[in-house]
Amino acid sequence: MNGRLIDWIWTIRGSVELPPEQSREDAFDRLDPLFHESGTSRDRTGDALTFDKKDQAAQDKMSIFDSGVLWIEQGTAGGMLHYRLTSRALLFCFLAPLLFLAFAGLTIAVGKIDKPAAETAAKKPEKKDVIRELNPVDKFLGAPAPEKPKKDDKTKDKDEGPSPISAYVFAALFAVLYVVGRILEDRLIRRLFRKRLRDDSSDSRQAVA
Amino acid sequence: MNGVRVGNRIIGAQSPVTVGWENIPRVEGGPVKQFVFTWFQPAVLFALVAFWYYAPNSIAKASTAIGIGIGLKVLLLALEWVNPRFKSWQLTWKEAAIDLFYVGLGFTILRLIEGYIGDGVMIEGIQNAFDWEKLAWFTTLPLLVQAVLISVIFDFGQYWMHRGMHNWHPLWLTHAPHHYITQLNINKGAVGNPIELFLIGLGIGGFFDFLPRAALLAGTFGMAVSTYQHINVRFNTPRWWRFLFNTTEHHSVHHSQDYEASRSNYSGTWIIIDRMFGTCVDGEAELLGMEGGRKMSIRETMTFPFTEGWKSLKEKFGRDRYGQAMPGPIAAEWPAE
Repeated sequence: MNGRLIDWIWTIRGSVELPPEQSREDAFDRLDPLFHESGTSRDRTGDALTFDKKDQAAQDKMSIFDSGVLWIEQGTAGGMLHYRLTSRALLFCFLAPLLFLAFAGLTIAVGKIDKPAAETAAKKPEKKDVIRELNPVDKFLGAPAPEKPKKDDKTKDKDEGPSPISAYVFAALFAVLYVVGRILEDRLIRRLFRKRLRDDSSDSRQAVA
Repeated sequence: MNGVRVGNRIIGAQSPVTVGWENIPRVEGGPVKQFVFTWFQPAVLFALVAFWYYAPNSIAKASTAIGIGIGLKVLLLALEWVNPRFKSWQLTWKEAAIDLFYVGLGFTILRLIEGYIGDGVMIEGIQNAFDWEKLAWFTTLPLLVQAVLISVIFDFGQYWMHRGMHNWHPLWLTHAPHHYITQLNINKGAVGNPIELFLIGLGIGGFFDFLPRAALLAGTFGMAVSTYQHINVRFNTPRWWRFLFNTTEHHSVHHSQDYEASRSNYSGTWIIIDRMFGTCVDGEAELLGMEGGRKMSIRETMTFPFTEGWKSLKEKFGRDRYGQAMPGPIAAEWPAE
């Protein structure tokens, strides 16, 4: 099976045009500070730069990537930077909805297994409900008086067992977060590379603090 | 770095810590921004207290509290963008995703497990075993008194559990992963090993019988005070607030890379408990974390207590292949508490 069919989930590919007259060496020199972050190792050989990252700092501008390769191809119209970057964070976020759906399934299963026990517990003679009264201070200040607990509701709650709703909500949140991240990080890295290649300010060549 | 003497301790000798309120930067901007970021925290607290005090019984429910909690967190996330305390703590997509994962664990699988082994179950077991009645007199107190007592009693327990985590190695192993966070954001409180999250959530509140409304009011202190421990927002926190309550300033000191600074500010809500026991340091820090700010992965966060615990056991009791005792615990691995 062609890996490309599925590796878009955790791989970001793209290309950025080099400014006119910019040499390969100059382009890599401009990008180099991005790979001076802690936990990053890089290797430049000829046309390509490969890197690996481990325990990336939160503010590392390439923190979502764990490894990748950047290479420059020279065409008649000028140079072009190509990149292929892999991200475990994207893969993790893609799979997270499945994990939370599994939690939902587990919650339902536990609720079913636990139901007989809950029913037994519900059959125990219940203590007489006491009608609570507010302190006179609270009565004076106008706080609503507590209601007598409804016995039917109590039994209903116990029969229903733990709810899987929150697990479904988090599954949906991670699905949305994945889509946002896949689009956002694609754009951010393209913008970062373009800025680095075109930025003439001196600090573009300094290590990212 | 010389550090600053606070009581018997030198704070900030290993990593920069700003000590003293007068040295902490103020909110920058026009009068409206100054006003908002000075009074936001008290206004939200008083509004929520008033809401829970007067809300009809049909609204005063736990589900409403969860809804308000989520709404408040979304609002606070927006404030992080509007007025960040430090640019170096800005939330990225990856940080947001990681934080949300831990929040998700708390709302799903951990809640499920806690339903079987949490403090509620333990307390019920104790009460059934000894046929104790709950402390019913508690409900006769005024609502706000009940609420403050519930909150303070819970926080008192949390203070000692937290302090214990920083002073006893087995407990530290569960808490250490939380100290690897390198920035404070609104959901960072959920980041950590699940065992720690379970331990820190234990309380004795279940022994008391209280009005549901009082519990909701007590929860408000957690929501409208404790939430600000982990937030990247610059506030001009009022003097009385920071005297009574824990703040993001206090908690940033606690998370500092400086060893002595991190052995301070243990309470979750009532910093006055730290003042009582001499562990409060007023100030703030930007450089947070352990091992010079090394980032800990989710996998390591989950396995850390077990892998490090095994290493510690081997160091203490193990012998190498030649029958010699292994060297003692390595100082660098002991908590930057």
